[in-house]
Amino acid sequence: MPTPAQSLSYYDGRLLLIGLLTTLGLAVAGCGAGFLFGFAVAILRTTRSRAMAPLRAALFVYCLLLRRIPFLVTLLLVFFACQSTNAGLSTFAVALITVGLIATAYLSEIIRGGLESVHAGQWQAARALNFTHWQALRYVIVPQAWRVILPPAVGFLVMFIKDTALASQIGVMELTSAGKVLGNKGLPSMLVYGMILLLYFLISYPLTRLGRRAESKLAFARNR
Amino acid sequence: MPLQFRPILEQWPYLLGGAWLSLEMAALAFACGMLIGLVCAALLQLGPPYLRRLITAYVTFATNTPQLVQIYFLFFGLPEVGVILPPLAAALVGMTFNAGAYLCEILRAGMLSVRSAELEAADVLGFSRIQVLRYVMIPHVMKVMFPSLSNQFIIMTLGTSMASVFGVEELTGRTMSLGAETYLSVEAFIVAAGLYLTISLVATFMLIVYGRVIYRIKARML
Repeated sequence: MPTPAQSLSYYDGRLLLIGLLTTLGLAVAGCGAGFLFGFAVAILRTTRSRAMAPLRAALFVYCLLLRRIPFLVTLLLVFFACQSTNAGLSTFAVALITVGLIATAYLSEIIRGGLESVHAGQWQAARALNFTHWQALRYVIVPQAWRVILPPAVGFLVMFIKDTALASQIGVMELTSAGKVLGNKGLPSMLVYGMILLLYFLISYPLTRLGRRAESKLAFARNR
Repeated sequence: MPLQFRPILEQWPYLLGGAWLSLEMAALAFACGMLIGLVCAALLQLGPPYLRRLITAYVTFATNTPQLVQIYFLFFGLPEVGVILPPLAAALVGMTFNAGAYLCEILRAGMLSVRSAELEAADVLGFSRIQVLRYVMIPHVMKVMFPSLSNQFIIMTLGTSMASVFGVEELTGRTMSLGAETYLSVEAFIVAAGLYLTISLVATFMLIVYGRVIYRIKARML
């Protein structure tokens, strides 16, 4: 039976707030890094020269691997690997590395899909105008591709915020861990986890709506 | 420190047993989720408005909250109202709850992709209802849905690793125990990652072949 003393205190609220910010930080930092590196990976994979072939193969394997190993397994692998090398990283840093690695793999696939969605004639036209590979990307391909890239990228961010709940398993103090702490303190689990679910929902739902709106708007602009 | 794989690889029957449990869980949750998804998608099309709103609320809630916390709620929250779920059941119920929502969205998109003109054409040609389903609707709908459904199944297979958090002895759970027993966690998880990779690649390949043979899907999947 919950007694009156077991109601939420100021410090519980602070814990939840810190957890919320950590969750957001993990997701945003991970996706930011993922977008940056993912763009680099995707662009390197559009190159056609033979000298780049081994690099392209390596990047292909990297994307394949990280998209086919569960988040939790990657997280624990990075965690134990960091532990065995005595790198002295905090659990948050470990989670950040993992999140960045995974987001890079997923986002590079999304970005590559966007780049490939641009008609091949655009590449040929750019080449006919004597653009270099990089100039063609910068001035012709990317301005057309980002409309295709943005909606699934937002969708990925939404998915990713939810996936970061797994970081609680290595002891990162994010939203799910905060819920666990409050539960262990003796607050009714139903209340605590209901609240955590609600908080995740409050972050995730507006982003989902935003993604849908961006999708319909950009799709309209593309079909002109 | 060099990696030592031998003590881990010696335990291969233990790990493969875990991998089998993972696959079983994914298949079971997918099948149950498919049932929920079908009912929900059908009711979204045909049901009364209040039911439609309820289903939309369910789908929105389930797809916007983490599966892990949903299972936490089932596993730690429900005992307070007298429903005690064992770890495996909690994980399965959580996965089914989640899968039902995602599959409902996929199925709804598939149902919307059938053009009424096609159904009218079948009607004009004197097809019976079964024939319409068999020769017009399913081939058409599956072409749209099959890649998404396969993708969802692969995601769910990888997602079973979450059950280890609650002490289910599937692949990730067994890997954790093995790592703790042998002090070779890094090696254990590399082997587990390899197993997950193999499972998902084999499953993808089989689904692609199935899609090509049965539904004649030419497009690149996954």
